[in-house]
Amino acid sequence: MNYRLIKDKIFFGCICFLSSLTVIPLVAIIWQLVKRGYRQINWDFFTKTAPSTLDAMLAKSNGTLISGGIANGITGTLLMVAMASAIAIPVGIFAGIYLEERPNTAFSNTVRFLTDLLQGIPSIILGIIAYAWVVKSLGSYSALAGATSLFIMMLPLIVRSTEETLKMLPVSMKESALALGAPYWAVMLKVMLPSAFGGLFIGILLAISRVIGETAPLMLTALGSTAVNWDVTEPTSAVPLLIWQFYNDPNLVDLIWSSSLFLMILILILNIIAKQVAKKWRIQ
Amino acid sequence: MKIVNSLLLATVAIAMVACGSGKKQHSTLSLAGAGGTFPLPYYTLAFKTYLDSNNVNVTYGGIGSGGGIRSLKDQVVDFGASDAFLSDKEMATMSPVIHIPTCMGAVVLAYNLPQVKNLKLTGDIIADIYLGKITKWNDPKIKAINAGTVFPNKKIIPVYRSDGSGTTYIFSDFMSKVSPEWKNSIGTGKSLKWSVGMASKGNPGVAGTIMQTDGAFGYVGSEYAFAQKIAYAQIKNALGEFVVPNTESISKAALGDMPADTRCMITNSSAPGAYPISCFTWILIYKEQYYKNRTMQQAQGTVNLIHWMLGPEAQGMTEKVNYVPLPAKVIANAEAQLAEVTYKGRLLTVGSKAKSAALTK
Amino acid sequence: MRILSIKDILFKRLLFVAALLILLICAGIVYTLVSGSYGTFVRFGFFHFITSTAWNPTIGHENYGALSFIVGTLLTAFVALLLCLPFSLPVALFTGEYFRGKKIASIISSVINLLAGIPSIVYGLWGFYTLRPIMNHLGWGQQGFGLLTSAIVLAIMIIPYASSLSSEFISMVPKDLKESAYSLGATRLEVIKNVTFPVAGMGIFASYVLALGRALGETMAVTMLIGNTNNLPTSITSTGNTMASIIANQFGEADGLKLSSLIALGLLLFLITAIINFIGKMIMKKFAA
Repeated sequence: MNYRLIKDKIFFGCICFLSSLTVIPLVAIIWQLVKRGYRQINWDFFTKTAPSTLDAMLAKSNGTLISGGIANGITGTLLMVAMASAIAIPVGIFAGIYLEERPNTAFSNTVRFLTDLLQGIPSIILGIIAYAWVVKSLGSYSALAGATSLFIMMLPLIVRSTEETLKMLPVSMKESALALGAPYWAVMLKVMLPSAFGGLFIGILLAISRVIGETAPLMLTALGSTAVNWDVTEPTSAVPLLIWQFYNDPNLVDLIWSSSLFLMILILILNIIAKQVAKKWRIQ
Repeated sequence: MKIVNSLLLATVAIAMVACGSGKKQHSTLSLAGAGGTFPLPYYTLAFKTYLDSNNVNVTYGGIGSGGGIRSLKDQVVDFGASDAFLSDKEMATMSPVIHIPTCMGAVVLAYNLPQVKNLKLTGDIIADIYLGKITKWNDPKIKAINAGTVFPNKKIIPVYRSDGSGTTYIFSDFMSKVSPEWKNSIGTGKSLKWSVGMASKGNPGVAGTIMQTDGAFGYVGSEYAFAQKIAYAQIKNALGEFVVPNTESISKAALGDMPADTRCMITNSSAPGAYPISCFTWILIYKEQYYKNRTMQQAQGTVNLIHWMLGPEAQGMTEKVNYVPLPAKVIANAEAQLAEVTYKGRLLTVGSKAKSAALTK
Repeated sequence: MRILSIKDILFKRLLFVAALLILLICAGIVYTLVSGSYGTFVRFGFFHFITSTAWNPTIGHENYGALSFIVGTLLTAFVALLLCLPFSLPVALFTGEYFRGKKIASIISSVINLLAGIPSIVYGLWGFYTLRPIMNHLGWGQQGFGLLTSAIVLAIMIIPYASSLSSEFISMVPKDLKESAYSLGATRLEVIKNVTFPVAGMGIFASYVLALGRALGETMAVTMLIGNTNNLPTSITSTGNTMASIIANQFGEADGLKLSSLIALGLLLFLITAIINFIGKMIMKKFAA
């Protein structure tokens, strides 16, 4: 009798121990980012465009903060991620629902298999693909091409998390709603999806987090921009592109940390919003 | 559900507004170019200044010289940029392209030996280091040309670029010229098969690795080395002088004979006082600017931009950010080439008159 | 017989179209990759390319082969998965089971989700400045670069994918199933082993497949830490290259045969991911049966 309880306690202890071990390096990385990046974040950071290497050199020699910010990157990232999400989220959720509703047909198995495959494609290949499909057809680098590559990257996470979450919901939920005479579409959209919100949301959040920091595909599709750009058929900057620019510039390396800090804060905000929404809807 | 719906609507709305608004406020001209990372810091500065003074938004993507040339071939950019000019074979596959040099730079050999303040090297020694024949800093060959300097008994750790790069091309071009062994085993190219040493990505990667590894040695782009104040070596040039890389010695490398289309490597220059691993970086545009529905405005804008890059304001900026301006002779050469650019067969005028004409369109 | 309304039919069509879109995108990708890599396969032959360890970009002696990179990719990705497992699974249990709903679980899951948002170039930089000296000090890898170093950074990068999703599935296990087990006298551990894992198992497996996919395709972070030597890796601490990182390194300057070889590597990665996923599914089927 005691043996089982001891095993239980030991297991619990291991879980706690390993969890804390995991969290420590993660906090260390985040702390590094904060430490190196917080100084650069001020109002200018959000409103001014990227500084040039000369600005940085002058600032360094004067001992002041580098003037300028990443406004062109922020607007570009928001634009492209919004466009990509606007398509990836509905397509991903609907595909996920389809896979859950008809799990065993040859078509479903193929699509599921292919979705997992998409996840493994290096982002640079997706950049090459979007270059061939969009940039060449449109005749110029554009935010649209960038959004295309991001959209493809977001799909697998959203599709699979939707499917697996829906699978875990009790069948009785769907059946009782249908038995009450609700139409199929209403049952799925108004009963099942809200209950699956937790898993759905994690998938969407991970998908957005993944694409928000990707450089390679954007290099080949959006190219970049010195100014803030809202035209989707023109080259656009993005925070990871600016990070690449800063990386290659001997004077602007410090800005890398603040830019990443910004991305992290963005994810944090998304996280918080989601938790609030989830609180309102959790039907557990 | 309502919130998700409204969020979706909002994003679609943003997208549509973006599409719409873009078309409306297209009074500022937008130009796009792609190419290597070598001139990236300078171009970013130059184009930012150009935006402020001329209201033309120039985008430059540092995706690699190959990417720039590919983009030009696919006609998705206004100009390409490269540290290596197109070979005759490559030119044959495209419509006529002109090469305009925009500034100069160099490749320096950086090292991490805090005790050694001055290091002199020759091409042969560098070749031997990268071929694994010289492995320690206190090798007699190194000591022979560095009389008076004390070298520690440390292993040399050579570093090279893992990514394809114009810097590698320039460095290997020089090495092939001065060392027959290098030419036969490693050769010239943007990406090479190295036998000894560590690889790092990009100038920052190589510079970072060198700075963090005791006894490391490698080739770095000059503007990077100058800005980071890394220690670099004096290299023996074709006349037997040991030259320190700086603005003067790099400019001198351009004083030799040059073809009219400026397509030449100026490594191992025989001009006195020249730093032997100097280089140009070029902007490439099509000679005939009418292709694929290109407007007169785009063509004129591109030509005006390049003309400005050759002018005193842009050239004056180069030195401030550790690049080297073009000597007058080369600028004249470049302007002559620019004057031959046509749009639908008619020559485009270059200069302030043309600029105001384009803007009032 | 239920009479389906127009809305229902439309809705079902929409679902189908969404799934079809994925199929079409994949088909398009395969087509573009195949046409891009055609030159290489014609020149070297499919099997020769896969089994050759050559990689000589010098013009005139060009010879390309994929084997070194295939091995590098598989080693780093699987070691990363192995390293991530003993940390992500406990965290998933911690936040999804033991402390579900409590503040601490919320904080920890937020912290972990933040990790997913860090750009890979920043992971590469962190690895370069912080991890590499440690590895160097321990003598693992060449100057701290190597497959193991990149595997460690990869492991950290995929933790959010593995643990966040798993945590969600673990927390979704129906309460009544667990309560009936408790009422029979089971300990927490026994409930986890006999109820939670079987029920959430498929979901957890799916999240690790996604995490592995992420590890297979990661470029920037790996590129900066793996040492970038194009030879066959001899041990986990040697330097090498993965398919994704060599593509990222060389694509900017590649042309002609080299370009099609890089695209061929992309196609191969696609195939290898397919094979791994397939094997994984087979294992799961056997396990579940």
